[in-house]
Amino acid sequence: MRVVLFSWEYPPRIVGKLAEYVSTLATQLVKSNVETHVVTYNDTMTGIVDEPNGAKVTRVANPVRTHVNILTWDLTLNQEVERAAANVYYGAGKHVDVIDVHDWHFIPAAATLKNALGIPFVYSVDSLEDHRSPGTDSPLNMAIRGIEWLGFFEAERVTAKSEWMRNEITRLYKVPKEKIAVTLPVAEFAVRDILGIYRAAAGGLVGK
Amino acid sequence: MKRSLNVMMFSWEFPPRIIGGISPHVYFLSKSLAKNGVKVHVVTCDFPGSPAHEVIDGVNVYRVDSYKNPSPDFASWVYLMNLNMQKEAAAIAAKLHEPIDVFHAHDWLVATTGIGLKHVFRKPLLVTMHSTEIGRRDGLHAATEHMIHETEAWLTYEAWRVICCSEYMVQHVKWAFGLPSDKLAMVPNGVNPHVYDAFDKEDLGSFRRKYALPNEKIVLYVGRLVYEKGIHVLINAVPKVLAKVDAKFVIVGSGYMQEQLSIIVKSMGLEHKVLFTGFVDEENLMRLQKVSDVSIVPSLFEPFGIVALEAMAAKSPVIVSDTGGLSEIVGHDVTGVKVYPNNTDSLAWGIIKVLTDSKYAQALRENAYRAILEKYDWNKIAQQTIRLYESVLGEYSKSFWA
Repeated sequence: MRVVLFSWEYPPRIVGKLAEYVSTLATQLVKSNVETHVVTYNDTMTGIVDEPNGAKVTRVANPVRTHVNILTWDLTLNQEVERAAANVYYGAGKHVDVIDVHDWHFIPAAATLKNALGIPFVYSVDSLEDHRSPGTDSPLNMAIRGIEWLGFFEAERVTAKSEWMRNEITRLYKVPKEKIAVTLPVAEFAVRDILGIYRAAAGGLVGK
Repeated sequence: MKRSLNVMMFSWEFPPRIIGGISPHVYFLSKSLAKNGVKVHVVTCDFPGSPAHEVIDGVNVYRVDSYKNPSPDFASWVYLMNLNMQKEAAAIAAKLHEPIDVFHAHDWLVATTGIGLKHVFRKPLLVTMHSTEIGRRDGLHAATEHMIHETEAWLTYEAWRVICCSEYMVQHVKWAFGLPSDKLAMVPNGVNPHVYDAFDKEDLGSFRRKYALPNEKIVLYVGRLVYEKGIHVLINAVPKVLAKVDAKFVIVGSGYMQEQLSIIVKSMGLEHKVLFTGFVDEENLMRLQKVSDVSIVPSLFEPFGIVALEAMAAKSPVIVSDTGGLSEIVGHDVTGVKVYPNNTDSLAWGIIKVLTDSKYAQALRENAYRAILEKYDWNKIAQQTIRLYESVLGEYSKSFWA
């Protein structure tokens, strides 16, 4: 199985808890004989590196240096994420089983890659805009919610890190509960469950 | 047999959505490409009442959700719209029976759509740069302007070829983004002279009387009433022209300078000689171009100057300021008159010359119309564009992406 993980943070770039989580996930996947690629953002350490944990990590920077808000930063950076993912796809004889996108930042790239190349994706939710910016309805927050909605709509499967989050996703975005699986974020987490989700997602895309 | 070229074009505007010059450009280019055997798929923004997919003169037009929620600002909207456009264009391209050979983007407004799809499908991207932020703003000032400029730079970097519509723009784009010369190509903008044919059969006498007295020559200006268009130069030339020849100055268009210009005209006591029409619909605009005795394009900054081409196609003699794309369109004393930019005396001299020498004016009309047919014909422009696609595909076929 060949998997590409998308995350806007990955060690050594640590913003919150997500970096450590994705790094542990990558390590566990490699141990389970999964060919694991990571595409992440780093402003200075760009390029492709075979990391000690066995994952192949591509770090991309934004070609546009001046921005007016996080949306313009994110929506330009996504093209570099697409380029990096396409390099994995073409380099591996045009086959990637599944993309696992962590939080909203790289959902646009995942949606385009799905529609263009038929690569299914899993949307792994760490946090939602409604919880990060409660009670806000500015155009900026609305646009980020729109991107989260796109992720729920286009993803084959959704993962949440608690039963509470699973309920919140259903409450806020009306995602059917059957589409959402809970995977607990403990250190030696159940990689077998996640592999099951990946397999279901990879088999679930029509025409794949 | 070789299969036909399959091209996907991105444009933020396509008729009936018309905001500026890109819409008619993409409309005529795509239509003329289709006539020359190219399969063209135009992906553009949706428009109320227009279908999501239709075939217009052999061109497949797809209108995608242009992001209609409120946006923080215009530039953020552009990138949000591109998120939708790219995703939908990806689905359209993936479902086609034959793969897309070339992606062609028009301006930074569709930059991220084009750049992403180039990499995802690994097909060459071409871009037509119709304008630049640094040219529009006369420098880069606010953060938004820098961001747009950097997006334009990135787009020209990712493009296999960068097309400009005039030699002036080729030099400008080369300077603005530091591009190598062999990456740039000049393909002119076009005009369709046959849209004016219908008016040859029409008696325009009564139409003309609505705008001018029989003894008055009509001097026509078409364009926004803004500083860079040099309309103030024309207004200042009015008394100098009237000293030699009786004329009516018809000013079509609107803009922030309108009130100021009206005050100047009033203070000169020439309200009866200068008519501000405001916006005029397309048909009546073409009639005005047909009945005018001279058309003036006094711009101070002009990447191309399509309005001069339109006047030439309507067989109205043109006077342009010798700047930007206008310098290339008009040959002095051959297809029109070139005057010094921002120079009232020079402009007045040109107008008087054309209005008082009917033989000269007639020669300009005929030469200009011939030049339109020879150089600015959409069919020829389409063929030039096809040669460009083919040369890019020749290079592409030797690359590791092929």
